[in-house]
Amino acid sequence: MKITNYGVTLSRLTEDKIELVRNWRNDPKIAQYMEFEEYITPEMQLTWFNKINNDKNYYFIIEYNKHEVGLINVKDIDSEIYQGEAGIFIYDDDCLNSTVSFQATLCLYDFCFETLKLKQLTAHILNDNKRAIKFNKMIGFKILQNQELIKNQSYILTFKDYIKNRNEISPIISQ
Amino acid sequence: METTEFINNFASQFDDTDASEFTLETRFRELDEWSSLNALAILNMIGKKYSVFLKPDEMKPVQTVRELYDLVQSKIK
Repeated sequence: MKITNYGVTLSRLTEDKIELVRNWRNDPKIAQYMEFEEYITPEMQLTWFNKINNDKNYYFIIEYNKHEVGLINVKDIDSEIYQGEAGIFIYDDDCLNSTVSFQATLCLYDFCFETLKLKQLTAHILNDNKRAIKFNKMIGFKILQNQELIKNQSYILTFKDYIKNRNEISPIISQ
Repeated sequence: METTEFINNFASQFDDTDASEFTLETRFRELDEWSSLNALAILNMIGKKYSVFLKPDEMKPVQTVRELYDLVQSKIK
């Protein structure tokens, strides 16, 4: 499964790519921003993949200019309340300082809201990850109440807030 | 477009740099806090406040707040 939009292609994660993702995920530059920071073994990675390889979880490799640069996902989809949890990391340093993260995010969120028909997305962000907080607020995420003293803070994005912010950002990042 | 208002709008896109540090001569790329995310936030602000939709590539040669102000002003005229 591939989705191409906003100048990026999202390719659904397959078993032959889980070692690539494991190596990215174990790199301290990525692990430091994750709630689970422990080293991930090949066996742990395969167990994880078998758990998420279904229609409740969509993990995609982000491809930009034919290079695999990061991972984006919507997970734990609840089809009763039409909600899922979003996440992203960019491994490629060149793409970190570019619009690729926005391109990939809009590509995935269009899929979430327009194809999967979700009504809202959630996100968890460590409270010292200022870059991620700024990024998610630009997309339209809002922090939930009473989160100030929590390290792993909860944010929510409604369809309405997403469309408003997407329409403002897409002219900037369109290629 | 009024310069003080533009500087204030520009400064509000930064979290850690005090707004009083910003002038038309500020070389914003030299700030510790500067990142591509600030660039996108600034382009987003310019689109919303001034209805001028700059591309990231158009902002790349810009070094000071004044140069950005002049660029936006040239698109308004």
